[in-house]
Formats: sequence, C-alpha cells, structure tokens
Amino acid sequence: MSEDRKLSRRDLLKKGAAGAAAFGAAGATAPFSFAGPLKYKGRYLSGNLSLITWVHFVPAYDQWLDPWAKAWGEKNDVQVTIEHINNTLLDQRAAAEVAAQQGHDLFFNLHPMAAYEDQVINHKPIIQEVSKKLGPYMDIAVKSTYNPKTKKYFAVSDSYVPDPVVWRKDFWNGVGEAPYTWDHVRKAAPKLKAIGHPIGIGQSSNDLDSNMALSAFLMCFGSFLQHDNNRPWLDTKKTVAAVKFMTEIYKTGEDPAIFSWNPASNNQDLLAGHASLILNAISATRTPEDTNLPFSDQLMIWPIPIGPNGRLGLEHLMGCWSIWKFAQNKQNAQQFMVDLLLAGKTATIQSKLYNFPTFEKAFPFPGIRKMAAQDTHKPHGKYTVLTTIAQKYTHNIGYPGTVNAAVDEVLTTSLIPQMFAQVSQGKLSAEDSVRQTRAQVNSIFAKWKARGKI
Amino acid sequence: MSLRRNVFSYAVIIPFTIVLAFPFFWMFVTSLKSETQVFDPTKTWNFHPSLHAYGYLFHHTKYVTWIENSCFVGLLVVLITLAVALPAGYALARLSGRVGRTLGIAIFLTYLVPPTLLFLPLSRVVAQYLHLSDRLWALVVVYPSFTIPFAIWLLMGFFKTIPQELEDAALVDGCSRFGSLVRIVLPISLPGILTVVIFTFSLVLNEFVYAITFISSSANRTVAVGVYTDLIRGDLYDWPGIMAAILIPSIPLALIYNAFLNRFITGFTGGAFR
Repeated sequence: MSEDRKLSRRDLLKKGAAGAAAFGAAGATAPFSFAGPLKYKGRYLSGNLSLITWVHFVPAYDQWLDPWAKAWGEKNDVQVTIEHINNTLLDQRAAAEVAAQQGHDLFFNLHPMAAYEDQVINHKPIIQEVSKKLGPYMDIAVKSTYNPKTKKYFAVSDSYVPDPVVWRKDFWNGVGEAPYTWDHVRKAAPKLKAIGHPIGIGQSSNDLDSNMALSAFLMCFGSFLQHDNNRPWLDTKKTVAAVKFMTEIYKTGEDPAIFSWNPASNNQDLLAGHASLILNAISATRTPEDTNLPFSDQLMIWPIPIGPNGRLGLEHLMGCWSIWKFAQNKQNAQQFMVDLLLAGKTATIQSKLYNFPTFEKAFPFPGIRKMAAQDTHKPHGKYTVLTTIAQKYTHNIGYPGTVNAAVDEVLTTSLIPQMFAQVSQGKLSAEDSVRQTRAQVNSIFAKWKARGKI
Repeated sequence: MSLRRNVFSYAVIIPFTIVLAFPFFWMFVTSLKSETQVFDPTKTWNFHPSLHAYGYLFHHTKYVTWIENSCFVGLLVVLITLAVALPAGYALARLSGRVGRTLGIAIFLTYLVPPTLLFLPLSRVVAQYLHLSDRLWALVVVYPSFTIPFAIWLLMGFFKTIPQELEDAALVDGCSRFGSLVRIVLPISLPGILTVVIFTFSLVLNEFVYAITFISSSANRTVAVGVYTDLIRGDLYDWPGIMAAILIPSIPLALIYNAFLNRFITGFTGGAFR
C-alpha cells in the first residue's frame, strides 16, 4: 500500500463525519425515515391513524370507505381506526376534542369548521400534493376551506353534495303544478296540503338541511349573508320579502312539525309518502330505491326553483376533513387525505353520485353525467341533472364571499332558520325578525373581525 | 255508591293506561315488521310478523355488549352513589337548622347543571387528567356527578321521616351512632334505598351526552348510544331494530318497577308528609 493512500486518523474522522452528514441529509429529505426496518418495502409511514366521520347517508359509501381505509393502513404500515357517528353529533364531538386537546387525528364534518382555524394545521400541503396529479382544487372547495385573511387552509374538502329539490311527480301533477319557480311552489302549497301532502322545507334550529334550504332560498330572493369581501350584508328589504314569502308557504302548505325537524326528518317525511317536496341530496331518492318503496319512480330531481333573483343554490353538505394541531399522527393523516382525494372517482361512484369530488379531474363532469345516465332507476336519466346543478347552481355557504368563522357561527347557531320560524310561528313580524337577526349577524362578524379571522 | 266509584275509577284509569301502554305496544308491533312495511300505511296492522329485527340486533350488531356495558356502568354507579349518598343524606337529615338546609339545597343545585354545559370541561378532566378516553371507567367516574345529588336529596327527605326517638332509644341501649344507622335507620329506609337504586340505574341507562362524548369505539358504547349510532344509517332509520333494541331493556325495568311499586312510591313520597 503506497504512502499517499494511507488513511490517517484525521482523514478517517473527516470522511466518517462527511458520510454521516450525507446520510443524515438524505434521510431528512427522502420521503422516508431511517427509524428502523420497514415492514413494507418502500413504505415510509408507521404507527397509528384514528379518524372520525359521519354515518354516510348512503350506506354503500361506508361499506367502501371502511375496508379502503383498512387496506390503506396495511399498505402503509399504519394501524387505522375509523369511527362513525351520527352527523348531528359531530359538532359536539369536535368541541369536546378541542376542549380536551386530545382526540382523533382526522376529523370529518359536514360543514367547514372555520371557527376552529387556530386549532388545526394548514392543510395547504395536502391540496398542493393532490393538485400535482388532479389539477386545480375546485372554486367551491377553495371558498369553503381557505381563509384569505390569514392565508390558511383550515380544512381540506374531499367532496360536496348538490342540493336539488326532490318532489313527488304524482302529487304535483295531480294539482296541475311543477316546482319550476318559487311562485309555483307558493301556488301549489295549499293545494298539496289539501290533498294531504304538504311541502317539506324545514324551519328548525336543529337541522342543517333547514339552514341550507333557507339560506339558498334567501339567495334566490337576492338576500346574502355577506358581500364578496366577507363584510356582513343582510339586505333588509329583500330579506323581509323572502321571509314573508316563506311564511305564506308555511301557513298555507306546511305542517308545524317542520319547526322541530332534525336532518333526517324531511327524508322521513318523504319516505312515509307524506311530503310532496323537500330540498335534499339524492339520499332522499336512493333510500326509497334501495327499500323498493312503490313510489320511488315518482320522485323527481330538479334544480332549486327560480326566485326574483334567479336560481341560486348551495351545496347540501361540504365534506371537510381537519387535522388538529394536537393530533398524534399528522403525517399519516396528511398522506391518508392525499390518497383519499386521489380516489375521488371511486368515492363518487361508491356514494351512488351523492358525493361530488372537489378536484374536478378526479371524475370530470362528462363522466359523472354518463354514469348518471346509465342509472337504471325510473324515470331513466333523472340523475343526469345533478351535473347541471353541481356546475351551475351549487355555491358555497357565505356566497358570494368565502366560508369564514362568522359564517360558520351563523350556520351552527341556526340564526337563519330561527329568523324564518319566528315569523311563521307569529312570534315576530318579518321586519322585526330580520332586524333582530341582522343585529346578531353583525355582532358575530364584528367578533370574528376583532379576532383577525375576517 | 261503590259501583259508581268503581266506574269512575275505571273510566279514568283505562284511558290513562291505554295512553301509557300504547308506546310499548307500538314498539312491539313495529319490531315485528320489515323496513318496507314500516313505511307502508296499508301495512299498519296487516303485515307478516317476523323476528328479523331481533336476529339482526343480536347477530349483526354489538347489542349484547352494549347491554353488558350499560349494566356494568349502572351497577358500579349505583354502588358509588349509595356509598356516598347514604351517609351524606343521613348527615344532612340530622343536621337541623339553616346550615343543613342550605347544604342540602346547594347539593341539589349541582344536579340542575345540565350535561350539555358540563361535557366540555369534563372532556379535559377525562382525557388529560384521568386518561380515561374511550373507556367505560370514564362514565363510572362522571355519572355519580348527577346521580349522587339526586340520591342525597331523596334520601335526606326519607331519613327525615324516621323519628329521632328510635335512634335515641338505640343510643340509650348502647348502640353507637353508626350502629343505629346500620341497625335501625337503614332497614326502615329500604324503600328509599330501592328507589335510589332503580332511579340511578335508569338514569345511567338513559344518559346520552357523556356517553357519546367520552366513548368512541362501538365495543365500549352503552345501549343508549349504541342504538343511536349503529341503528341509524344516515337518514335510513332501522325502525324495527330500534324498536326491538329499546323494548328489550324496557321489559325488565318495567317488571322491576312493578315488583317494587309500593316501596317505590313510599320512597318518593317519604319526605312529603312530614
């Protein structure tokens, strides 16, 4: 061995240090760690992942999601536990987890939980990762999960649900009407109630459906909760007109039960063969089909009726996942979300077109329309209108602005249904009820503005 | 006169009985239907009865586990409640004057704080300090917070009906204060104690807010939460299953109530005529 090839102790230390540094740097930048032998070659996750989600209104979706999550866990060396609870309990559970600063790694809710912005991570990396493969995150999803003030994605949405009117063709044809405009609904309401089949639009404080239906109804009358710059706006004149209009529909064509409805009540009313029209997602038609109810082929789906301000609808639900800052397994949660979003097409199919993906390229509208056209339930092709509703008439809560903590609070405290119910029940005049609600809305917006979230 | 009185009594009682018994009858009838028949108005009475809902409940859900969990929590909470409420109720009953009355009212007021307010601070206690998340022991710890105040109040009223002279006589005969409580007061108070046992167990069986907040996994759920979360699939209510699930625990409870009805009434009204 020549003299110059000899390795001095100093050289050995230098080269050893350089090697260790290179090894460490590679470990830090590579998409996996050197923490130990991997159970699955090429996998870089480990540990656990706990997630909580709702009991889906289309049971077939959960029958797909649960094994999919389990398979994802096996593939990634992660022990996945998934909990389903009734949708009405999600807000309460979220509050409890935040209070305890402990809970599930991934929390699903049916509305963007903007009020918990400080409790969650920024979900931007998930959206960026998925966007590389599926293109842009849809506008409705951005407006539902992104706070332009704080520049933070406080949730990531995997799906939204169009909100059509579902109506009984036999009842409506029997009275010579169809719910094309809100004026048609107003005229038909007393006739339908007279034959024992009232309108089923809720005015309940315990019901997300009431919130969404009445908020969309207001938009059809030109009344919006906020401007496009997220400043509060509840136009008194137009709102009063809308409230009076709905009060007339209630008084002539609805039952008092609508004041105590929960999210399943309008579906139940339709299933019982009682209601003639509800605003709901297609679970209202899927359930009668699945249970072979004789009137399932009489159920029609249309876009929201036209009002004085046109046809403006909201999503029925916005499927939003949040990763708490106190989550134990954030990395697993993020990767799970990326993979779930990439499986958007399968999820849409498994939900029987209930969920629409928030990355349009996951399942482009022509593909959804084609699938809807192949649906064998009668009348054939009735589900194809869903893509039109999704593309043209489905907006985020708080439209034309974005979802924010104030909008979220107005929604979760059910101020809009209360505003309508107080008038329908004769407790307040339309003017007083709107004035009172407007003051409450302004106060909520002021509170969140002071906190720097709007 | 007797006939008229009987006719009047039956005229009042029979409609009242029908109204009260009808929900149970309706539960039973619905539990024998299929889901399609539930929604079909022509099948209200004319249907083919089936035990399918019961089979589904026992073979495809964790119903038996939920019942076991409810019983486990219920029995432990009953024991804890009695262990605390018996001496506390006795002490308050014998603490005459303003102090005893004020303390009694203060304890009862804690019963009036609704779980919908308490579940948030208790979430932190259960998760961070006790580390009992998703464990039945969380319920065992939390439930006495509302069973004990009620039990103390009820027992306090009952103990007050027991003449002080009986205890004085026992003390004169050489019995200690504790001895007089065990040998004289408790045997006489059996109706009140039974009332506390039954009422506490019923409260635990019905409790929902804490159970849904502190318990996550289906295997650890109590029957009130299990039925709500596992038998309602979105907007698809498994009405036959729900009715069967509610009817089953109702029957033994109704029988127990019936068996101890007289003592139960005595327990509740014990403090009313003093």
